[in-house]
Amino acid sequence: MALNLTINSSNPPLGALLTAEHVKGTVSVSVEEGKDNKLRVSEEVQFSDVNSITRYLARVAPSLGLYGSNMLEQTEVDHWLEYSARRVCGQSNLTPALAELDMALALRTFLVGHSLTLADLCVWAALKGSGECQAIMAKTGSFPHVCRWFSFLSSQVPFVSVGNKWATTKMAAGK
Amino acid sequence: MALKELSSLEKFLGLKKPNKYSTQGDRKVPVLQSNSGPGLVGLVTIATHLTQEAKKPDLLGSSAEERAVVQQWLEYRVTRLDGCAKEDIRTILKDLNTYLEDKVYLAGNHISIADPLMYYGLHHIIMDLAVHEKEKYLNVTRWFDHMQHYPIVRHHLPPVAVLRNRVYTSGHH
Repeated sequence: MALNLTINSSNPPLGALLTAEHVKGTVSVSVEEGKDNKLRVSEEVQFSDVNSITRYLARVAPSLGLYGSNMLEQTEVDHWLEYSARRVCGQSNLTPALAELDMALALRTFLVGHSLTLADLCVWAALKGSGECQAIMAKTGSFPHVCRWFSFLSSQVPFVSVGNKWATTKMAAGK
Repeated sequence: MALKELSSLEKFLGLKKPNKYSTQGDRKVPVLQSNSGPGLVGLVTIATHLTQEAKKPDLLGSSAEERAVVQQWLEYRVTRLDGCAKEDIRTILKDLNTYLEDKVYLAGNHISIADPLMYYGLHHIIMDLAVHEKEKYLNVTRWFDHMQHYPIVRHHLPPVAVLRNRVYTSGHH
């Protein structure tokens, strides 16, 4: 079964694109540019919300562990998906949200568990797509743990390619 | 001690055939016996050799700068960390904590051979830290916890319990 992801090319959903990039070796996903974000699973089933798309992609490729490895981790992943959608995307004054993230990352390399999960993908995508976040992180000494985590992920392969290909479009659209 | 560490390192590097080691002198310097020519002496020398044997040169650093940083930490391990006096431990942890604030691995964003070797060398020190000390050196603790969960690194050592959320949040910043 081939999945088909259509993305809004003027405001690309970085989180969904990153997740698609991570699962593409395990499930076949084709990406097309269009007007709206949509994941077509079958004739009857489609998802249009970015978090639903990433959740579905993570669940069809359970071997990658993107949804955590136990119930506690799954709940933590859900927490961060909610955080990225509500506290970062489209919000102004992001300082309290970043302070909370900094606190959480002080003793962690990845947000949930000991490997990469959807939580990292979606929060990274939200920060990458926000001009205000980029400006705050550019100031030296502010939120060191967020900066370390962000630049660590940014240096990894799928993040580099997704960042190069889509993030500039996104920043331009956000202005 | 060093010998167990070297066999763990072989597993981490994915070397199938275990080598034979012996020790030399009072300080028990490890020696790798080879069939041809003289043996290799010293932890760093042997570790570098094993990495090349495993055909994983990236673990020695992928740029000239990274290779220098990796060598620096290997040397640090042997000269500063091994056999360090009790009163030096705080200084070492403090320096390492500052250094690791903006890094996931010792050489930056990619794992190198310096990470498992520093992890092996620090293990007995971190083991003895109290909860509030682990939080005081939180960058060291985070790196250490990442290393002990990294596939195949921990091997012969017992896991150290680490809190993943801060308890003593006030009075640190």
